Amino acid sequence: MRSINVAALTGSFALAAALALAPRAAVAQEAEAPPNPAPVVEGMLPEPHFLTRAIDFATRTAGDGSGEKSGFYPEIGSMVTGAGWISGGGGYRQWIGGDRMVFDASAAMSWRSYKMAHASFEFTKLLRSRLALGTEVRWQDYMQNPYFGAGPGTIETGRSEYRLTSLDTVGYARLRPTQWLTLGASGGWLRRPTIDLPAGTFRSDTPATRELFPLESVFAIAEQPSYVHNEVSVTADTRDHRSHPLSGGVYRTAWTRYWARDLAAFSFQRFEAEGAHFMSTANSRFTFAVRGWLAATDTAEGASVPFYLMPSLGGSNTLRAYSNYRFHDRHLAVVNVETRLALMTHVDLAVFADAGNVAARLADLNLDKTSFGVGLRLHTEKATFGRLDVAHGKEGWRVMFNTSDPLHLSRLSRRTAAVPFVP
Amino acid sequence: MFVAFTAAALTLALYMPFCAKVIDPAAPPSSDEIRRLWEPPEALAERDLFYGPWGPERAPDPALTYTLVERKHTGVNPGMTVRDSLGHEWSVKQAPPEGQPPEGPIEVLVSRVLSAIGYHQPPVYFLREFTLADDWGTRREPGGRFRLKDGSLKDRGTWSWQEGPLVGTRPYQGLLVVLLLLNSSDLKNANNTLYEHQRAGGTELWYVVRDLGTALGSTGRLAPRRGDAAAFARQPFITGTAGGFVQFGYRGWHQELVRGRITPADVAWAADLLSRIADRQWDEAFRAGGFTAAASAPFRDVIKRRLNEAANLGAAGRANEGQ
Repeated sequence: MRSINVAALTGSFALAAALALAPRAAVAQEAEAPPNPAPVVEGMLPEPHFLTRAIDFATRTAGDGSGEKSGFYPEIGSMVTGAGWISGGGGYRQWIGGDRMVFDASAAMSWRSYKMAHASFEFTKLLRSRLALGTEVRWQDYMQNPYFGAGPGTIETGRSEYRLTSLDTVGYARLRPTQWLTLGASGGWLRRPTIDLPAGTFRSDTPATRELFPLESVFAIAEQPSYVHNEVSVTADTRDHRSHPLSGGVYRTAWTRYWARDLAAFSFQRFEAEGAHFMSTANSRFTFAVRGWLAATDTAEGASVPFYLMPSLGGSNTLRAYSNYRFHDRHLAVVNVETRLALMTHVDLAVFADAGNVAARLADLNLDKTSFGVGLRLHTEKATFGRLDVAHGKEGWRVMFNTSDPLHLSRLSRRTAAVPFVP
Repeated sequence: MFVAFTAAALTLALYMPFCAKVIDPAAPPSSDEIRRLWEPPEALAERDLFYGPWGPERAPDPALTYTLVERKHTGVNPGMTVRDSLGHEWSVKQAPPEGQPPEGPIEVLVSRVLSAIGYHQPPVYFLREFTLADDWGTRREPGGRFRLKDGSLKDRGTWSWQEGPLVGTRPYQGLLVVLLLLNSSDLKNANNTLYEHQRAGGTELWYVVRDLGTALGSTGRLAPRRGDAAAFARQPFITGTAGGFVQFGYRGWHQELVRGRITPADVAWAADLLSRIADRQWDEAFRAGGFTAAASAPFRDVIKRRLNEAANLGAAGRANEGQ
């Protein structure tokens, strides 16, 4: 098994990101000039009045997703990829002691009866806002997770499904030496995930993973292992808005270790490096975005990675002409290029291309799987809240509706373990 | 089952805000109770509508540095609580995203108008920008409405448009007329604050309408426009009379406060008060909200036209009473 020099990779990536993103000017001793309010991006076409007012109403009532408001909020669109076209629920957030602490709890259910609940508590402003400490517990019951087998050569008709239930508890720390740089560390306990037959609403006749892939290593044991998992990460983020960026970039590298407490043969570690950059021209009417993501897994000799924790690729955020979770293997690489043209103030036309693949060995990774397409994006100034993409690839056409930006990296805000690994 | 449950929950959630509350006036109030809402404006013509009733001594100093206490975690507008170097705390309401007209300038303007004609108001001011210090350093920050957390005012909760001794009194009716004339579209109880005001002779209760920034545009339930002179001009103020009551073009929430409840005499009372505000004072009120002369002109035209409508209606009402 090829060994990955995680420390070297992490360090060099962080250094490169820091050099690339370091502010050009020294911090002024005097107050800076007031920021000009962000100009409203005028689209190529006049926007219907009803649309503008509807978005105004939605922003005023539901917020902009920044998480700064206390009180009840709708938990919409936070469900895992593949949960169905819509999900809904409710949450409650309470800031305590000014901005010093925040409690947040939410629960949601999706179209396919996926369910999740989470609660978190965080000290947000330790060391003059440089340090945050928190804890989170997340329960999830995902009903119809797809699995097509491991490797890049699997066939689309070889789809199986499984139900995955998990409970994860983590503690985490975030150190922010500057406003754009975050050093993260977390440790958690993932209590024996359970693998069951698929269930839930709107289920197809897809066979169960246990039936189609009985030789998968996890089916050889009566119970899945519990995991202690740790992660360290470095993130540099200079985007102007997180869910509808027009400029700036986000670069992240992370090293995660999963110790199977009672079955060492399922222990592994994963390295991830990911970057996305956004550039706008023509008064922000035209935005060019590029994203790259590499995930590599390493195990001891003879050990294996449970398929539900194995990197996977395909679907609305990676290879858009392929099904969600279409490919699984130890390593993945993907590149997305996207251009967005502001058709109206709140509607963008997007043209995109995706390329990537999975492999059992890092050296075998390539970008052979491709997809191309167009889409429409509905957004506010800060956030994308609806998109319709049509993509074409070797496995045909695929139309998808989502409630988030395709390059919005949910991994940045996730603190619990990724079970299953979400592309 | 799931779909039915979801549909039922959505229907209930959407229906609740439409439930009109019942107007429930109590026994007629004493003059002392009325003074909790409104006091006859003495020397109105001499009032300074730029600094308002709390004067320049309580106004925020744009030269000071304001330290962040906490970000605003309620409401729909962004904002924060800050403390100036003199130890005063301020609630700052900033402009919303999306290039929507900010509420701050409108709120300060409407507050100046209400306080000029005798309605109690907290100390609110407008600063276009200010210097903010937080854990990350000092920088210039977009301003907005600054409301002083004055030691003489203690927030004692909210009061209800629908219940209480003031319901139906002339100042109460007049307050509604003034808000309708300015197309204030946020007639909800959450914006009504009951203050305990400490003055030399002791304490008194104040019934205050605040958060007045959704005005000077169109009224509506879902996404009313604010600070939009064209929409303000387009929407009618008074549409007629029926059964002795004035009908309004108001399309916002809580129609029960407006429909079949306000008489021409109420309108005339409010119009008479507003007409006593001189042009110079209107200038001051608009400047207090950060409006330039050019920006305020179209709003003032509409207000003047609406005041004429109100005065004509009042005159017709008096003529009818004379017959």
